[in-house]
Amino acid sequence: MRIKLEQRWTRRLLQLPESGMGYQRVDLRLADGRELKNVLAFNAEEVELPDECAGAKIEDVQLRTA
Amino acid sequence: MLKLNLTLQCLLLNQPESGMGYQIVEAVTADLKTKRGIAYNAELLLFDEEPRRMFRTATFAQLLAEAKISTDEIRSLRVVTSATSTASAYVLHETSARYERKSRPAKDAPIEQTKEKEVFKRFTAYENDHRITSDGKLLPGTYATTEEDAKKAPTGKIAVARYALPNPKPASNVWTIEPWKDTLIQYGIVEPANDQPGGGVEVIFTKGTHPGTVTGPKKIPDE
Repeated sequence: MRIKLEQRWTRRLLQLPESGMGYQRVDLRLADGRELKNVLAFNAEEVELPDECAGAKIEDVQLRTA
Repeated sequence: MLKLNLTLQCLLLNQPESGMGYQIVEAVTADLKTKRGIAYNAELLLFDEEPRRMFRTATFAQLLAEAKISTDEIRSLRVVTSATSTASAYVLHETSARYERKSRPAKDAPIEQTKEKEVFKRFTAYENDHRITSDGKLLPGTYATTEEDAKKAPTGKIAVARYALPNPKPASNVWTIEPWKDTLIQYGIVEPANDQPGGGVEVIFTKGTHPGTVTGPKKIPDE
């Protein structure tokens, strides 16, 4: 399931390097406390999330470095 | 599969190649059997009877890391001068040849500077590529490929495979990047990833590019 990122996360991701052409690998923290590792972010505007995260609010986005 | 010790490497380096980056060899093993195989880059030996599956996806560096280091397994080793070709030679010889140059991914490569009039291409699934600013520059840390390598990706789906992109949507929007001379850049080879073979050239514009250096996108066929 793909969700569109809020503008603030897009702005943050655009300040960080890509992981490959057109994408970044990120770690996400959701408002309900769940943490998702190694999530794909495309064009700094969409992330691919598991279906069970539908409607979840993103609390933090960090670029995955390793 | 064996990583040859220094003695055996020196032995092979004093003998001719059978093709670019490989030698067809005959080894006498510790149990006095004679086995034929391919030695890549004079350091990785693969016997003919060994499986080849992983060679289609792993990088040469990964294969070396996984190979057992030869100690007493081999009594003697010689290059076969009139050997018939072995399929595996053609699977790996290009990989090992590339390893000699820059088989590592761009992120692990040294930072270099672009030459005058070098041209690069960037494939994306999006027409509104956010890494390209409205004044036509690339943001720091943005990936692309060389103009030459881009010719090997005539469709968006081929670009997905060649650059091992995780987004299955065809990367059919192609941007042209003409950076100023001496722009900081890292060159590398795309490793297999995301169920894609990779193998294309990738570059990272470490600090981005100057305004007015990016044009496009030009649309290519999806498949």
